[in-house]
Amino acid sequence: MALAQRTGRSRHRLILLALTAITLLTVDLNGFGPIESAQRVTRDVLHPVTSLGAAVFSPVGDAWNSVFNYGALEDENDALRAEIDELRGAIVRGEADSETLQRLLEATDLPYVDDVARVTANVVRGSVGNFDDHVVTIDKGSRNGIREGMAVVTRAGIVGRVERVDNSTATVQLISDASLFIGARLVSTSEVGLGHSVPGESGIFVIDRGLDYPDSDDLDLLPDIGSAVVTAGESSYPADIPIGIVLSAERSGDEASMEVRVELSNNVDDLHFVTILLVDPTEDFPLGTVDAGVPAAPPAEESTDDSTSGDDE
Amino acid sequence: MTFLKIGAVLVVAVVVQLTVFVDVRVADVAPELLALIAVLAGFLAGPERGSTIAFGAGLLWDVWLPTPLGLAAMAFAIVAFGVGSIEAGLFHDSRLQVSALVFLGTFAAVCGYALLGEVVGQRGLVDLELLRVGLIAGVLNAALAPFMLRPMAWALRGPMTFGAPAAARS
Repeated sequence: MALAQRTGRSRHRLILLALTAITLLTVDLNGFGPIESAQRVTRDVLHPVTSLGAAVFSPVGDAWNSVFNYGALEDENDALRAEIDELRGAIVRGEADSETLQRLLEATDLPYVDDVARVTANVVRGSVGNFDDHVVTIDKGSRNGIREGMAVVTRAGIVGRVERVDNSTATVQLISDASLFIGARLVSTSEVGLGHSVPGESGIFVIDRGLDYPDSDDLDLLPDIGSAVVTAGESSYPADIPIGIVLSAERSGDEASMEVRVELSNNVDDLHFVTILLVDPTEDFPLGTVDAGVPAAPPAEESTDDSTSGDDE
Repeated sequence: MTFLKIGAVLVVAVVVQLTVFVDVRVADVAPELLALIAVLAGFLAGPERGSTIAFGAGLLWDVWLPTPLGLAAMAFAIVAFGVGSIEAGLFHDSRLQVSALVFLGTFAAVCGYALLGEVVGQRGLVDLELLRVGLIAGVLNAALAPFMLRPMAWALRGPMTFGAPAAARS
């Protein structure tokens, strides 16, 4: 009898907890302000503790990486050496088709938001759980003028957007997250489309919405392979931030539209410093359509931070 | 007092998760310390108190996760309830049995979190990768379980300031 009563009470408790969780989920998914504020306050209150913990435990992580990720570091060094050799070869040969991305972007003479206020931040940690691979946390927050939706870049181009902002930290959704859509402009044709990363294909971005394949199969209307791709002025981010270079342009499944594969200019797997462009984002770019009437990004705000250089990794 | 002790254990676990286990990963999978606490709470405190503590652990972890608040809380509470119910009928204390229970409980918590996430519209959580993450996290938590048993037993000792009094475990 007592056991049955205890079991019944336990079930009632579980039902109560489940209903509480469902209520929290519902209000949080609807962007209920007080819930977001409570989470932000919790993170801010515990921020000094986590910072202290990071300082205390950083030798543990360093030791772990030095022991178990030594092979990966060697591979990375080998890849960098190979890249340097390739660049030297390109310079010597003077072959236009083997120029580096950086030289290509410089050659396009893009303004790359020179007149925009910006804040440079350190990446303090990567993903915290097992299901948030495409997220990093930076050491600047709302007190530095950062707000949700702002573009995050390095010298090589866009790396993501600010997803969540606390007082002294912020979370960045990286461009490697396939759910992050970005309005992109093909520099060689000035066509504008909507693109995203490809799950399982590191460093690849595909523009698969908003681009029409040329009617007459006139190859001149196709984007040049190796030409630059930048953010579109009609997107949520400031215009002309480098995204990458065109790898291929093909007909998509419906035959009428074009799918452009792009090699991202940034490697977001190993970020240390990023720059946040202090420009309020416009309304989200409409998915599935490319509306040329979407207003361009508003003018830049005044920077609230002294560290306004554009340095990156 | 017990409430404060449990709170202290939760905060320490979150700090360790946010600092140590950002780097210390096996096959790119981190242990799930808060899920470990949830399972041990079910094991040590029974289904009623355990599910409440697990709910708190999940809620705290939800604050740092990109998914909506309440997702981990619900998954952890259900798992703790299940562990507490199973434990009452089948298990006796032993390190091996605790580790086995933690492995199964963590696997269930990770999978439950992902499944509930898909239900509320968080895409990309359920795929073959989920099984790999769940299994590795389960193994890691099982290895850590002996180290967490003592702090959890310390935190749960004495009368609770919420819920029923502490279960008398021998």
